Amino acid sequence: MKPQSSTVRWLCRVYGALLYAYPREFRLEYGAAMQQVFRDGCRDASRSEGVFGVLRFALHTAADWVSTTVRESAIPRAAMEQAQAVWSAGRRQAPRGFVTEWVVTILLYLFASTTLVQAYVVPTGSMEGTVRVGDHMLVDRVAYAEAGSVARRLMPYQDIQRGDIVCFLYPEDVRQTYVKRVIGLPGDRIRMVNKQVIRNGRRLIEPYTQHIDPSADSFRDNFPEGVSYQVTPRGRDMLANHMVNGEIVVPPDTFFAMGDNRDNSLDSRFWGFVPRGYVVGKPVIIYWSFEAPTSDFEGWSVDHALDVALHFFSKTRWERMLTVPRPQRAQEIGDTR
Amino acid sequence: MSKPRDPRDLLPLTPPVFHILLALAEGERHGYGIMQDVARQTANALQLGPGTLYGCLKRMLAAGLVEESGERPDPALDDERRRYYRMTGLGREAARAEAQRLSAAVSAARARRMFARPGVAEGKA
Repeated sequence: MKPQSSTVRWLCRVYGALLYAYPREFRLEYGAAMQQVFRDGCRDASRSEGVFGVLRFALHTAADWVSTTVRESAIPRAAMEQAQAVWSAGRRQAPRGFVTEWVVTILLYLFASTTLVQAYVVPTGSMEGTVRVGDHMLVDRVAYAEAGSVARRLMPYQDIQRGDIVCFLYPEDVRQTYVKRVIGLPGDRIRMVNKQVIRNGRRLIEPYTQHIDPSADSFRDNFPEGVSYQVTPRGRDMLANHMVNGEIVVPPDTFFAMGDNRDNSLDSRFWGFVPRGYVVGKPVIIYWSFEAPTSDFEGWSVDHALDVALHFFSKTRWERMLTVPRPQRAQEIGDTR
Repeated sequence: MSKPRDPRDLLPLTPPVFHILLALAEGERHGYGIMQDVARQTANALQLGPGTLYGCLKRMLAAGLVEESGERPDPALDDERRRYYRMTGLGREAARAEAQRLSAAVSAARARRMFARPGVAEGKA
């Protein structure tokens, strides 16, 4: 036997799993042969057209899978035993079988809802001004994913850039997902002077920030000077090990993130860098925005359900619906040295 | 299982069924061999997926148009065993009847000048 590429092996495994959508008798009778045919097809497609051929063949088979799982489950066995079924094969779209419909739904739910796009609600105001408390958004989980050998050619994967809004697992507690703006990439030197960020010696004009506290705080506004009781263990580690000449230097494979609501945001200043591997994705669209306090979005409550039911129309921020939180670049000015 | 006596009762065959029968006209083949041959016959216009292929084979077996002819490796591919299929007498008759039906349809189309290119038929340059 010829050695196969890992992509083909992976596709064969996926196809093997998809065969479970066919009725049991059909799968037991033909499943092995179908897998064989699929593998043969992948191999020939890869020989003649390379990776694109394999993808085309896989997509073609996926379409075939959708229509034939429906057909195989929908045709009653009695009808199958009649020769009549022959001329309905490949032509008539039989009504969708209950089981198949559910299988397809569950598969879509399992894969699409967690690997491609996931819905989140924003409970806190650290990005207020850009993302508001009560914004429900869809997060594109693929955008920043590590590109595999095949996927690299299929979809435009992006590198994280300064100014991007990114969802990631909170490094101090990975059960929570945070949304912040990327301020510093590996190698960047970050400090703040009087609420203004200075990156690599250049002052940032950040149109997306808001400041709600006119007074100054030594640590929050002149980071990394001063001290704050809110600094976590990871934050202390950053201050101890990554400070060079009064500036924080972002280490490899991490980034420095801050909330747009600068005066009221616990961010990288307090808990350190975000590892690249903790990135969940990029918010793509706000599909619903509901005016309610933070506590209402941190768990499920009867009060909140009632509030939504009674004030759905008046408290929905209609103007925010279907808006896209866009990355914004800060303007860099001057040399402060 | 009651098989139709007259293969004409089975007409018209669906394109996948007809092309699978044509693929088996020259002798027995395994599933992937059928798939390749159908693609060749139709210049890739009809590419059967595994689900369509085995769904049709299942129904054709039930109708007695094809039968299994054992399991063995295909030396051209690898040493894995594959299930081979061959056409039955009824299958051959059904394919012939379908071919005649299509041929009659093609003649009717020609008689109605469906093959003439517009412009050329009217004698225009």
